[in-house]
Amino acid sequence: MDIDTITPEDFLASAKHFIEISDKIHDGWRIYEHKNEIHKSYIKKEAFITFKSQNELCLYKIEYVIFYNLSYGVPSFSFNVWNSPGTLLKLEEIRQMCFIQITKEEFYSVITQQEHPIFHRPYFIMHPCHTAQLLKEFKNKSRNIVVTFLGLISPLLRLNLSLEYGL
Amino acid sequence: MANDREVLREIWDGKLPICFQLDQEEIMEIQQPDPFYVMVPRLSYFPLVTDKMKRHFLRYISQESADSEMWLDYNGQPLKWHYPIGFLYDLYCGSDPQLPWTLTVHFTKFPENILLHCTNKDVVEAHFMSTIKEADVLKHRGQVMSTMQKKDHNQLWLGLQNDKFDQFWAINRRLMESHGENEGFKHIPIRIYSDDGTCNQRLVSPKNNDGSRKILQQLISEIFPDKTEVKLRTHGIMIPPDTPLQWLSEHMSYPDNFLHLCVC
Repeated sequence: MDIDTITPEDFLASAKHFIEISDKIHDGWRIYEHKNEIHKSYIKKEAFITFKSQNELCLYKIEYVIFYNLSYGVPSFSFNVWNSPGTLLKLEEIRQMCFIQITKEEFYSVITQQEHPIFHRPYFIMHPCHTAQLLKEFKNKSRNIVVTFLGLISPLLRLNLSLEYGL
Repeated sequence: MANDREVLREIWDGKLPICFQLDQEEIMEIQQPDPFYVMVPRLSYFPLVTDKMKRHFLRYISQESADSEMWLDYNGQPLKWHYPIGFLYDLYCGSDPQLPWTLTVHFTKFPENILLHCTNKDVVEAHFMSTIKEADVLKHRGQVMSTMQKKDHNQLWLGLQNDKFDQFWAINRRLMESHGENEGFKHIPIRIYSDDGTCNQRLVSPKNNDGSRKILQQLISEIFPDKTEVKLRTHGIMIPPDTPLQWLSEHMSYPDNFLHLCVC
């Protein structure tokens, strides 16, 4: 096994453990296990957030999905955001909602809209080659690769990760 | 390494005649626009070959729609621009050929739940390069792409965009070489699509456990254990079931370095 990849079995085990904690603290993540093809298993969370744009408070629905990227052998992060009339947000609108300041070029080199390998619909997906680099540094220190992975990327997005996960 | 140059050339030169028609509901002029006919490379992508067509229809639609994103459908099925044109034709018309291929052009009601946004050609380039990168991760753990220079990456894209076989293959040949003591890739970049457009991804080795070359029929039996007589098509060709996967990958992959095969 390569140092910078994990197997679908590793991913599923970490995901299950993650769900146990989520259930305990009612964080709303759910697991969708694919019995025959383990690499198609994923975890998902739906949430509503408010964000102030141009002095107006708006409500958005966010769907986060963490799945296993078969080609790269790493967990992958994907999401979609809808506004209250039900229209999908564009990438530039999402960039402006970020917690941390990030330049346009940096953001666009990390996140792109792609056809989701499991749902076959458009999702914003974080590019997996960055994930492989991150995992290489953290793999041996991490107790749960899904937690480590989420902890690393959540500052980019409005995703609150509880300390209960043992970051 | 890809040696059968005539095969590569034949595949590269594959063309499709397309007839574009503007959606009836979007015509705002009394005079009906003529359909727009064009011959396009099978290996290209729609956003790379539709500039003239867009200009042809623009004066027939409402002013408000003129700046919105154009999209295409075949028989009510929106066409995903991020797949090569020849693959889309094989998927929807493979078993019932229709030439020229008649497509409907839309400037309103973009189906955002089905199609990726494509505001300019940079988006196509980014998609194309990231697919090649993924293919190289499967074939060589990404080592060929990461040792190439930026100008080599550009040359792959420009070769495709400008329909220049020699320019593209001067670089692409390096992506089609196998490394190490074993002849063959680590995994074969392959996507097999059912007629509903869903794709089965899996890790496919070019060899069997005993080290012999894996042929297409063996892969078919693995993926469809319950079905007999599954046939696969690519570039308008039914692939002989005894074709070795390694040869198939080196010669019949699309420029994005993936084999896109349709179940017939």
